[in-house]
Amino acid sequence: MLFSSISFLYYFLPVVMGTYFLVPKGMKNLVLLLASLFFYFWGEPIYSGLMILSIVSGYLHGLWIESAKGRGRGRIPLASSVVVSIGMLIFFKYTDFFIENINLFTHAQIPLLRIALPIGISFYTFQTLSYTIDVYRGDAKVQKNILNFAAYVSLFPQLIAGPIVRYTTVEAELDARTHSFENFSYGVNRFVIGLAKKVLLANTLGELVKTLTGTPQRSVLLYWMLALAFMLQIYFDFSGYSDMAIGLGRIFGFHFLENFNYPFISKSLSEFWRRWHISLGTWFKDYVYIPMGGNRVGKLKWLRNTVVVWFLTGFWHGAEWNFILWGLYFAVFLTLEKFLLKDLLERMPSVLRHLYMLFFITISFVIFNDSADIPFLESLKGMFGLSGIPLASTETLYHIRSYGLIMVLAAIGATPLVSRLMTKIKEIALGRKIINIIEPIAHASLLFLITGYLVDGSFNPFLYFRF
Amino acid sequence: MKDRIKNIVVTMVFVIVIFGFMLMNIATPDAQLSASERRRLAQRPKASIENILSGALFEDLEDYLLDQFVFRDMFRGIKAFSTYYVFHQKDNNGIYIQDESIIKMEYRLNEKSVLNAAAKLNEIYDRFLTGKNVSYAVIPDKNYFTADHYGALSLDYQKMMSLMRDHVSNMNYIDLFGVLSSDDYYRTDIHWRQEKITDVADVLLKGMGNKASTSDQNYTQHTLYPFYGSYYGQAALSLAPDSLVYLTDTGIENAVVYDYETQSKSGVYVPEKFSGIDPYDVYLSGAKALITIENPNSLSQKELILFRDSFGSSMAPLLLKGYSKITLVDLRYFATDLLDDYIDFSQDQDVLFLYNTLVLNNSYMLK
Repeated sequence: MLFSSISFLYYFLPVVMGTYFLVPKGMKNLVLLLASLFFYFWGEPIYSGLMILSIVSGYLHGLWIESAKGRGRGRIPLASSVVVSIGMLIFFKYTDFFIENINLFTHAQIPLLRIALPIGISFYTFQTLSYTIDVYRGDAKVQKNILNFAAYVSLFPQLIAGPIVRYTTVEAELDARTHSFENFSYGVNRFVIGLAKKVLLANTLGELVKTLTGTPQRSVLLYWMLALAFMLQIYFDFSGYSDMAIGLGRIFGFHFLENFNYPFISKSLSEFWRRWHISLGTWFKDYVYIPMGGNRVGKLKWLRNTVVVWFLTGFWHGAEWNFILWGLYFAVFLTLEKFLLKDLLERMPSVLRHLYMLFFITISFVIFNDSADIPFLESLKGMFGLSGIPLASTETLYHIRSYGLIMVLAAIGATPLVSRLMTKIKEIALGRKIINIIEPIAHASLLFLITGYLVDGSFNPFLYFRF
Repeated sequence: MKDRIKNIVVTMVFVIVIFGFMLMNIATPDAQLSASERRRLAQRPKASIENILSGALFEDLEDYLLDQFVFRDMFRGIKAFSTYYVFHQKDNNGIYIQDESIIKMEYRLNEKSVLNAAAKLNEIYDRFLTGKNVSYAVIPDKNYFTADHYGALSLDYQKMMSLMRDHVSNMNYIDLFGVLSSDDYYRTDIHWRQEKITDVADVLLKGMGNKASTSDQNYTQHTLYPFYGSYYGQAALSLAPDSLVYLTDTGIENAVVYDYETQSKSGVYVPEKFSGIDPYDVYLSGAKALITIENPNSLSQKELILFRDSFGSSMAPLLLKGYSKITLVDLRYFATDLLDDYIDFSQDQDVLFLYNTLVLNNSYMLK
């Protein structure tokens, strides 16, 4: 089920909210669990069993690790947990990729298994893993109540497209959390803003991306427009989803950590990754990079650690070579920024550093957006005029006129400008009162507008489902 | 407003909106049709083990909930308004508005489709029409007239016609591009207005070598109002409706239409259809695979075979002046292989292929 759907917004959510707030405290996690299982079953009936298996595995491994730790043998159940979780992920997500490449390099004829990717598997597998590792490390207490653990893994706000919520983040709130109008109101605000980002901006930009991808009238301008539109689309798609997840979590009393922090205002690629998909970056940092020695090792080992982490980051996004290349692209730039570019970047004017980041991030998303319709090399050649195509075409100019305002609004929305403006206004007593009056009106208006877009049956994909 | 009160108001507004619409949706009976969109709406799907496990049930339910959402037209209007006037997009789902006229923007020329159309014409000529007086004419869609002024994208009409002229053999081409203007089309519909195309009928008659003319006809105009055309629902905005005018004279009034599919007879116009899902069906009862119009008042014994799309429905009555019988074939619903089973090609017949540009660009629908 999509957050940006009539079924979720006007059926699932009111029923779940109504039930959740009516039942006594002791049953709230059960309500969330049942709702989450139904939510997943709606989109992925067959693979619901797989998610339940992942929950049971994580729960039992947690208990096993806890009991084995006392005897100094915690590594065995931990290894078992990693093998089961990663094994499931590899089997369901990467098997065909490996078979294709074995066939390609060895001319073997191994038939593909054509396994459909279970929605959200990358997210809930990483959550389960973070739990067992944290129990092993002693960072988290073992959860003995399977309902609470199942509610954590399957919690519908973050189940299928993140953010990757660590067990330690919500550990205390699984047992006791507060519900208040303040939490609810904050949650509604985040949810509605996220929904607007997704439906009004990301989906509209998605339409543009689809149109540009399908046009036979290629031009240099088209390739640039496609690159920028896709970059903004994926940002608003994913950050919108994260906003909705954080907002829904807050409505039900959970405090999820932020997943995006205006990544496009960064002045280096290293900074970009501290602001983009934060939950994934910190996951790899805490569970892969630091255990391998992090940066407290020699240069060569650091380089190895960096390559491994970024290879995995890329590969996590999809079983395709372009995602691996995309990850390694960042490994190269982060290495360059650490050893070669650091001084240069620091001496550069802020605007130039910003442009540097934007340019290379745009290129990275061209690699990310590789498809059979427009392979990334073709896009890059097109962007730099190496394909012998015209600078502009009638069609591209039309789309610039048609989508120009949306793209400008999206670009402004990707900066903290509006947020800072609101903060400034709220610092004045009168301004705060006015904002407080406008806020509920704005929410209702946005909900009506979003409903209009949904009812019209507009283009409504979710990019991060495939990861 | 204090923060504490604001939090309560925000909570209440959100709860009222999502619960309110849920309750309204549950309480409102399901509709079968959307008059504005001219289509059947999805109905509540039936559950089975198979469709639950395959996920098809939930996909069908999503369609059903979207289609049956309360105030659907209002919400589509909100979206259209936002697209045009808030985000200033040039089109909404490929539809744009120019001078209160609604225009569909089809702009990617499908050369293969145009060549397929040309091949279809040639095939029919070779199999059934050898030696006959055969003509073809192409009706430009509205976008041909408005795209440049609005800054919209449009088909490469020159290339389309060049492809047709280069590949259609043994037929006389009758040019309509110079005869028509945007005023000849309804503002809310794809079609041309019958009261505006008598001159086009003359061009066609003359092009086929027929000496009859509509210019000496004293047609009586019958006006039906309001006419909300097929683009009206797609535009989803509140725009002024058209009037649908149909023309009659003695010949048209006495003519008899025979529908091969239903094996029934009727008049040329069926005004009762005006209140149906497509009011344009007033002309010759709308989409029909094969019909004939017999004109008992005709002085000529000449017949016309008209291969046509829906534009032909309002044109055929005007061509009656020059023919004793017109056979209308819609290849979207009638297979080429069956033509000589139903049509006697041995008669003295003119033949006209009359298609609009959008059909040529999507010609695989021609059987």
